[in-house]
Amino acid sequence: MKFTVHTTSMLQRLRYLAVALLLLVSSAASPQNNSFAVDVIVSPSLAEITLDRSLLRAVFTMRVREWPDGTPVRVFVLPDDNPLSDRFYRERLGMYSYVLRRAWDRMVFTGTGFAPTVVRSESEMIELVRSTPGAIGFVRKRETSSRARPMPPRWQIVLLAAPAHE
Amino acid sequence: MSNPLRIAAVFAAICFSGSAAAIDYQVHGYAAQGFVLSRHNDFFGDSTDGSFDYYEAGINAAVQVQPNLTFAAQAAIRDAGISDDGSLRLDYAVADYRLVSEASIQAGLRAGKVKNALGFYNETRDVVFTRPSILLPSVYSDNQNQRSLIFTSPGAQVYGGAVIGVHELSFTGTLNAERDVRKSDERLLVSLTVPFDLRIGDSWNVQIMDSIDGGKWQLAYSRFSGQFRLSTAPEIDLVGRFDVDLNVFSARYNAERFTVTAEYVLVDNDNRLTFMGAPFLHQRVAADSGYLQAEYRVRSDWTLMARMDGFYSDRHDRSGHDFAAANPGVDRRSRFSHDFTVGVNWRPGEHWGFWAEHHWINGTATLQPLENPPPVRDQRWSMLMLMAGYKF
Repeated sequence: MKFTVHTTSMLQRLRYLAVALLLLVSSAASPQNNSFAVDVIVSPSLAEITLDRSLLRAVFTMRVREWPDGTPVRVFVLPDDNPLSDRFYRERLGMYSYVLRRAWDRMVFTGTGFAPTVVRSESEMIELVRSTPGAIGFVRKRETSSRARPMPPRWQIVLLAAPAHE
Repeated sequence: MSNPLRIAAVFAAICFSGSAAAIDYQVHGYAAQGFVLSRHNDFFGDSTDGSFDYYEAGINAAVQVQPNLTFAAQAAIRDAGISDDGSLRLDYAVADYRLVSEASIQAGLRAGKVKNALGFYNETRDVVFTRPSILLPSVYSDNQNQRSLIFTSPGAQVYGGAVIGVHELSFTGTLNAERDVRKSDERLLVSLTVPFDLRIGDSWNVQIMDSIDGGKWQLAYSRFSGQFRLSTAPEIDLVGRFDVDLNVFSARYNAERFTVTAEYVLVDNDNRLTFMGAPFLHQRVAADSGYLQAEYRVRSDWTLMARMDGFYSDRHDRSGHDFAAANPGVDRRSRFSHDFTVGVNWRPGEHWGFWAEHHWINGTATLQPLENPPPVRDQRWSMLMLMAGYKF
């Protein structure tokens, strides 16, 4: 009798645990469901550049200061707590945002480099990247709108081919 | 925030009015106020009654004249009980010339007053936003003597980086010029009844780091070598040479939610004193220190931290018994320190940070004797530390 009661309560606990896990999984998965892709944007002067992951990492960790053509690199980012930032760093650079922030803070407080310029919104990002020579940033990919109307004339979207293993 | 920016803008406009359009500059700063409440022993001020005698602040500017040439300087203040006095100092002032700047390889030279790369935290040790906790682990001697040795110094630096597969290798090598030790630091390092002067010479350091897979693993080896030179008036003729060699081994694993860090330092001391030209004292002692630390990011703005930290003044005499036997009247418990720390950090937005941590400590090696005159020190003590900071 005692044994049966024990089993029942164990099963019940397992069920609760399973439900809890399901809830966790579904809440973790929900951002994936309304997934958004991220595009790298660069200023018009860089239209010819090829951006692979190693160049992107070097640029966003502020290790390179000029583009191959000699233009100074100017990096624009969204605030660290913006989900788009997290997405971009993770998917395109293969890095966590806190690791990047640590590298930027180290440069800023040792005089060994510049931090990226933080902008408040995607529209500000687009405006600054458009108007700044050598600028690079990222925005949410808007597939429908970009198909519906021609690209804005004065800035260029570089679509990155996803790495083969992803 | 706008005021310093405005001042810097005016400054930049005056200095570079000829070619203002080509100049890039940035101004950043930080300020943090700490509070220490301890039981039994004092740390950073009269902390058994609660001490606010712990703060840090700095402002810096960096100017990029050309893509390959930058200038940067930072002025800073720090107060930490008896171990730092809050006076204004030039933290760094450096010219940086980049020789190679490509995606897979970079190299350059720096000169001026440079920061010494040692372990993960030495270069930015006074900026709480870059530390894992309010108090750095004892590898970094936050309340101790070797801080002034490794902190920052005039010199020349060569640096480089290379990407090889998933490895990002970086190298920093620094040759420091001979320099004077500040009066306020001298009294922490040497206790003498006659006037003396302390300088640091033969000082250099290197760091090699491997950052693997976008920084998921970070492994580093750093070495620092320097010599404290003690001199007294000719009529006293007491001369000291204290060689210090530090070897620091660092490892860090960065996952999405947690970070695990471990560092170990081996400190070799070779102390020689001569009196009236004749050898007076020669001792060699090896100290060591290490810690294991875990950080867990509960959310993007909340981080929990736990750390086990140990320090030994003589690694061959960890209990201090031998030292106490050889030096009657010396407390063996002043030869080691074990510190277990738990802490929490809240970052509401990019500018503000708030920290709280509790230390349980066994041993008094990390205390300043000037703040805790013997023999009143307790072996087992604890402290609560709080800090609030702003950066831009």
